[in-house]
Amino acid sequence: MSAIIEVKNLVKKYGDFTAVDDISFSVEQGETFGILGPNGAGKTTTLEMIEGLKRPTSGTIALDGKDVVRETDAVKSVIGVQLQASTFFESLNLVELLDVFAALYNRTDVDPMALLAEVELTDKAKNEVKELSGGQKQRFSIAVGLVNDPKVLFLDEPTTGLDPQARRHLWELVKQIKAKGKTVILTTHYMDEAEVLCDRIAIMDHGKVIALETPNQLIKNLLASGFSKPVLQQEANLEDVFLQMTGHALRE
Amino acid sequence: MRTILKLTGASIKAFVRNRQALFSTLIMPLFIMLIFGYIGFDKPPKFDVGLVTHAPDARTAALVDQLKSFPTFTIHEGALESERAQLEQGNRSIVLDVPDNIAKDRTIAAYTNPGQASQAQTVLSILDQFASTAGLAAAHASPAFVVKETAVSAHNTRYIEFLLPGLLALSIMQMSVFSVAFVFTQYKEKGVLKRLLATPMQPLQFVAANAITRLIVSVVQAAIFVILGLVLFKIHIAGSYFLLAFCVILGALMFLGLGFTISGFAKTTDAVPMIANLVVFPMMFLGGTFFAVSNMPAWLQAIAKFLPLTFFSGALRDIMTKGASIGDIRWDILGMLIWGAILIYLATVTFRFQERESA
Repeated sequence: MSAIIEVKNLVKKYGDFTAVDDISFSVEQGETFGILGPNGAGKTTTLEMIEGLKRPTSGTIALDGKDVVRETDAVKSVIGVQLQASTFFESLNLVELLDVFAALYNRTDVDPMALLAEVELTDKAKNEVKELSGGQKQRFSIAVGLVNDPKVLFLDEPTTGLDPQARRHLWELVKQIKAKGKTVILTTHYMDEAEVLCDRIAIMDHGKVIALETPNQLIKNLLASGFSKPVLQQEANLEDVFLQMTGHALRE
Repeated sequence: MRTILKLTGASIKAFVRNRQALFSTLIMPLFIMLIFGYIGFDKPPKFDVGLVTHAPDARTAALVDQLKSFPTFTIHEGALESERAQLEQGNRSIVLDVPDNIAKDRTIAAYTNPGQASQAQTVLSILDQFASTAGLAAAHASPAFVVKETAVSAHNTRYIEFLLPGLLALSIMQMSVFSVAFVFTQYKEKGVLKRLLATPMQPLQFVAANAITRLIVSVVQAAIFVILGLVLFKIHIAGSYFLLAFCVILGALMFLGLGFTISGFAKTTDAVPMIANLVVFPMMFLGGTFFAVSNMPAWLQAIAKFLPLTFFSGALRDIMTKGASIGDIRWDILGMLIWGAILIYLATVTFRFQERESA
């Protein structure tokens, strides 16, 4: 495997405030990479710098061998983006929106219905975004991110605010995308989500990366440091109860 | 280019499907036009003359007949009491009590309605004129002179013809300013613009697509106004349609600049109507839409004649009512060009796809 993203000594300052404080990491081709951390840790800022939406104060980012700052448009062509709380134009239906985004990438080979099928929104093709549920909106947002058949897909808190069924459904979608060989970078507040989806995790706090490992290794490291918590021999948790009682089927 | 076309297509679809935008840009001005057009501010004043006679002799009867033959007067004959009552109710401009023997009495009692003073004065001065020529005619065997009337064909601008270009300018201003200011502030607020920036699209492509959409809408607005004016009000359009379209686009461009500037200043959509109305509302009344700027007090004219809407409505009005050529309206066009340059420059300074980073 080779690195598709190389971040070196990345810094972002807003006046006196340092949002991202000299971080370096690389992401391998085809892996699902998670960025975890409390609110304000610098996750979204880091992501938006890699996406070319924010200019770094200093440091370099290379994506697919291209410098993000100098070759921003070339980088934007090979990435797909799902932003936190991004909305789309009103008065256009899903197919029309996908058509518009295809045009923005100057692509003529996009089949909107195939993309909608991929995120299981075929029957909503003629609906507007505002008529979708929270989970459907996120899935549509991912479909838009896949319009240009990107090498890297960025997902910024994709499951925040979703109910357990919709979350699990989205996880399946992310796994499918990964299975197609795409690199996925996601941020999340949910540890179970990171554990299920991510090959490696970077934990950020106060603008710094304080750990970067596979989920298992992070747990092993913690245990090796002598950490222990009272072990309750429970084979299930409350979420399992909820899903068992209400079913895994998506309701929307 | 394909991107701009596709974006323009999408933006036209969104515009047409937005009922609120459609209502305020097309239906509202048409309502105003219909209301003002049918109220008919420009009907000629009526001269309702009450005529009271008792037992006129031959001379007097001849005079009364002459008065009756006056085409501008609507003569109502009746008893003094009932005619005065009509006057008091505002149904007569003047009531004339004609003595039986005009040659001897020489005095016609005239009761006038101060509320219709100008009509009453007109009747009185016509009577004076009449009395002096009648006197001359009595003194000489033949009339001293004859008035030979020649009708000159003239086109008097009706109020609807004055109003229509003004309303057209006003609605194009409203459409350009509000649709851009609202939509772009909303796009900014909701993160639509940020999502677009995550694609290789150039911001200018998106702005161009939206501007083209609104220029097309403004030309459609103009076409609807003109067609309805021709069909419903039989207005007379003196000038060139090509020049009209040119000025419509120039005016729309100028106000698109204003729309983007407002969107640049507004942090939230709630702030848009406040800022926009601050600029647009005074222009509604001072920009020559409903009344001519030349009827305003001098100090107000000094401001009003330099407003963007005044140049715009002035140009449209001169083309439509006077058949002005491009040379005749050069100052209006220059005014629009200068305002256009100022507003578009301000737009480029204030309007950003993303909030400026403080770093």
